[in-house]
Amino acid sequence: MIVLLTILLCAGILISGLLAVQLDNLVSAVISAGLASLFAAVVYVVLAAPDVAMTEASIGSGLSTMIFLYAIRKTRNGD
Amino acid sequence: MAEIVLGAAFVLIFLAIVFGIIRLVIGPDTVDRVVAIDLLTIIAIAVIALLAHIANRYIYLDVALVYGLLSFLGVLAVARFLEKGF
Repeated sequence: MIVLLTILLCAGILISGLLAVQLDNLVSAVISAGLASLFAAVVYVVLAAPDVAMTEASIGSGLSTMIFLYAIRKTRNGD
Repeated sequence: MAEIVLGAAFVLIFLAIVFGIIRLVIGPDTVDRVVAIDLLTIIAIAVIALLAHIANRYIYLDVALVYGLLSFLGVLAVARFLEKGF
C-alpha cells in the first residue's frame, strides 16, 4: 500500500511540474510549483528523512512561494 | 480491527489525492487551484501522520506540525496577494 501511495505522490510531482510549466497564469504556476515541493516533502518522509522533509516543507513550499509572489508583484507593470 | 481502519484510511487518502489533483488540473480559475492546494496540504498532513503510525517513529509528527503551520501561512499569503497584491 505504501508503494501505491508513493507512486501516486511521484505522479503528483510530475503533474504539478508539468502544470507549472504549461499554465499561462503566473500565480497558478507558482502555486503548482509549491505543490511539487509539497509532494516531494511527503516522499522524503516515506524515504525516512524527516529533517529533509521539514526543510523542504518550510523553504520549498512556504518561503519560495512567498518570494515568487513578491517578485510577481514587483514586476507586474513591465512584465 | 486496526488493520481494517488503516486500509480504509489508505483508500480514502488515495481517492482524496486523485480528486484534488483533478481539481488542480481542470480548475479554471486561480482560486480553485488555491483551494485544491489547501486540500492537498491537509491530505499530506494525514499521510505523514499515517506514516508515523505505520513506521512507529513519532518524530514524523513534528514534520506534520511544521507542515500545518506553514500551509496556513502560504494560503494566507496567496489570498492576500489575490485580494490586493500584498
